[in-house]
Amino acid sequence: MNRKAVRTLFICALIYLPLQYAIVGIVGYYDAEPWPAFVFPGFKSVHVYDDGFEIKRTVIDVETLHRQRSLDMSPQEFFPEIPLSQIPGFIRTHFSGDEAVQQISDEGRAWLHIRATEIAGFSPNTMHIIELTEYYRQTEEGTVLDMALETGRISLQF
Amino acid sequence: MSFKQRFDNWIFNSFTVSAEGLALFRIFASLFILLFLIPGMGMGHFGFLASLPNHFYAPSPGPLRIFDGFPPLVFFQLVHTILVISLFAMLAGYFTKWASLITGISILILQGFIYSIGKVNHEIVVPLVPIIMAFSNWGYAYSVDSMRKKKTRNPESWPLTLLALFVAFMMFTAGFPKILGGWLDPSTQAAQGHLFNQFFIRERQALLAGWAVGFNNVVFWEMLDWLTILFEIGFIAALFKASWFRLFVGFAVVFHFSTMMTLNIAFLPNFLAYAVFLNWENVYSAIRSQYVRFSGITGIKSGKRAVILFSGLVLLIFLPLKWLSSRNITLSQTDLMFHEFVLVTAAFVFVLFIGVKKW
Repeated sequence: MNRKAVRTLFICALIYLPLQYAIVGIVGYYDAEPWPAFVFPGFKSVHVYDDGFEIKRTVIDVETLHRQRSLDMSPQEFFPEIPLSQIPGFIRTHFSGDEAVQQISDEGRAWLHIRATEIAGFSPNTMHIIELTEYYRQTEEGTVLDMALETGRISLQF
Repeated sequence: MSFKQRFDNWIFNSFTVSAEGLALFRIFASLFILLFLIPGMGMGHFGFLASLPNHFYAPSPGPLRIFDGFPPLVFFQLVHTILVISLFAMLAGYFTKWASLITGISILILQGFIYSIGKVNHEIVVPLVPIIMAFSNWGYAYSVDSMRKKKTRNPESWPLTLLALFVAFMMFTAGFPKILGGWLDPSTQAAQGHLFNQFFIRERQALLAGWAVGFNNVVFWEMLDWLTILFEIGFIAALFKASWFRLFVGFAVVFHFSTMMTLNIAFLPNFLAYAVFLNWENVYSAIRSQYVRFSGITGIKSGKRAVILFSGLVLLIFLPLKWLSSRNITLSQTDLMFHEFVLVTAAFVFVLFIGVKKW
């Protein structure tokens, strides 16, 4: 590349980088974070409430009719093939909100049912995606769980 | 000096490169990607993606939205094979520019589909490095291209400035949302909050994580919040001078080492980009002079053998590390891989060594 072409490339990069960042912000707000994009993770959340810390946890619960048999597990236990760094995003995309869960296709439900049966060792009728909010407080003895509240529950019938 | 001259000076003279130094980095980068940074967790991971129902295909806004679902396993196998072949070509310096570009594009394709389950991981530096470095003519020396007497262009240093620009800007995008999110508020200790999130929810509890969870000093944690933002935003200012940028790369290594020790997150892909800014000419000279000292052989032969020695040393470290990591040797109570721990720690020790030497 000649000098003029390289200079033009740098000017384009200097204009493009902030512009794409603005687009990432706007599209991310209305839809999802675009890809590919030249951004690093922001880790914007502060997880703070009053004088403690507030952390959200998702639990997957599968059960048979009348809860004769049931099993609670973490999303990483239910989806062990997915890297841990992708689990929260995967859950947020596909299992947050009743509407999103009820829209899961028949093929998707069948796939989840097979997976739940394999992991639980019994054929469940229902799968619950439970969101818990845990509140931690710091004491002289160390960090203690103050309380855990169920802040959301979405059920999927097989 | 006019603005144009200063702009040119920044683009073309910020960093100095040599054909030998670039060759060494090309070999290092090829082996690093080949053994540790190929996207995905092997064929099992690709098999899982290929088996997912179309409902779970949720690509981010972008080119992957033209597809309706995950491709079949054979597609992943094909792209993976192309990637491995192009990495070997890059390593040997065979059609180096094309091999580097194909490497970058193959990584992008694999990353794109892996992220299409609904979560993007920010590892774009892995394809970015070979794509940008393709234009540095890093295949000029110690390569098949150079042996074929193929007309190759002289080494260029501007790709390093371009990569520095991308890294600095991406660092800025990590720092800016933290300001908006309230990290600078003295009543929030955000880094500590993230530590709890990783420790209790993601069960990343190895190394110093347990100690850090019990360490309750408001001033310390608040200072960490401020320092994190200063460091991430400050990268932009460091662009003006190569020595400042290298200093910030050193800070970045220390930063990632500390996040690995406490949050058990290694950010290994970033180290590929940081490694570009190591003075590879010095590494080459040091290995060559040691070789000459021990063998007594001088001239062109000593240069070639120094590069072979370097490649052997890298392989000698990387191969057992890869083997140990693939045996599922992980630290307990974390998903941190053994090779991540060793490589990030080694980079930290290396940066400390350079820092002490320069002091």
